[in-house]
Amino acid sequence: MENTAHLLNEIDKKLMILLRDGRTLIGYLRAVDQFANLVLHRAIERIHVNDKYGDMERGVFIIRGENVVLLGEIDREKEQELNSKLTQVSVEEILDAQRREIESKQEKNALLRQRLKQRGINNNLMLEDND
Amino acid sequence: MYELIKHSAWKFKSILKSKHFSLISIKMLPLSLLKTAQSHPMLVELKNGETYNGHLVSCDTWMNINLREVICTSKDGDKFWRMNECYIRGSTIKYLRIPDEVIDLVKEDIQAKSKNRNQQQQQQNRNTNNQQNNRNFGGKNRQNQNRNRNNPNNK
Repeated sequence: MENTAHLLNEIDKKLMILLRDGRTLIGYLRAVDQFANLVLHRAIERIHVNDKYGDMERGVFIIRGENVVLLGEIDREKEQELNSKLTQVSVEEILDAQRREIESKQEKNALLRQRLKQRGINNNLMLEDND
Repeated sequence: MYELIKHSAWKFKSILKSKHFSLISIKMLPLSLLKTAQSHPMLVELKNGETYNGHLVSCDTWMNINLREVICTSKDGDKFWRMNECYIRGSTIKYLRIPDEVIDLVKEDIQAKSKNRNQQQQQQNRNTNNQQNNRNFGGKNRQNQNRNRNNPNNK
């Protein structure tokens, strides 16, 4: 009981949840169970690229517990403080920025792989793209 | 040790009583919400990034699910497959997205159930009271009979 009580304490609070694929969800936690499966109400998916972010409305989520990396309550005051440093942009803009970021990362990786190969090192394990 | 247990029990009770801890949260589990969502449309994303759009037919306690009229989308969102039905093993699921109204449905469900339970309890209480009364009457009657038997004046 003690162990799950910590999650029960988070119920009905506004949480940020980080998934194993790197996605960030924000919403109100409504239910949990012994596997840390979560029900997230009025959820949004937030994408960050540098100092910009964009939100997408997502509704109700049932998240399978094993895919959760971490979750934490969002402090209302600090949220406002942070909003002065970050700028919210439209969904299209943030998706575009994300696509460009991924492409530039892939280009860098390809270049690095090529250079390593020229020097006789062929270690692709180091450079695997993390989803 | 006993103090500790007592304290944690008290703490849990106070959590249950606090206004932030809504009634719905106590009795609703993620999987019971999924069960309520039967026949509703939903989106299921697997761990490998594929998504399945369809209507939920059935689900079990392992989160295995049956879907109807499914559209499967590849990870990059560039390929689509249509199928009439499909079965998804629970352990491959990343998350499910369900319509907003299912949360309201589950609230109604829980309220109806707790009402039923109260009514049943009241019924049971009534029954046990009646039984006790009957027993009492039976006892008195028997006593009366005994008295009658023992009392020769009554004849």
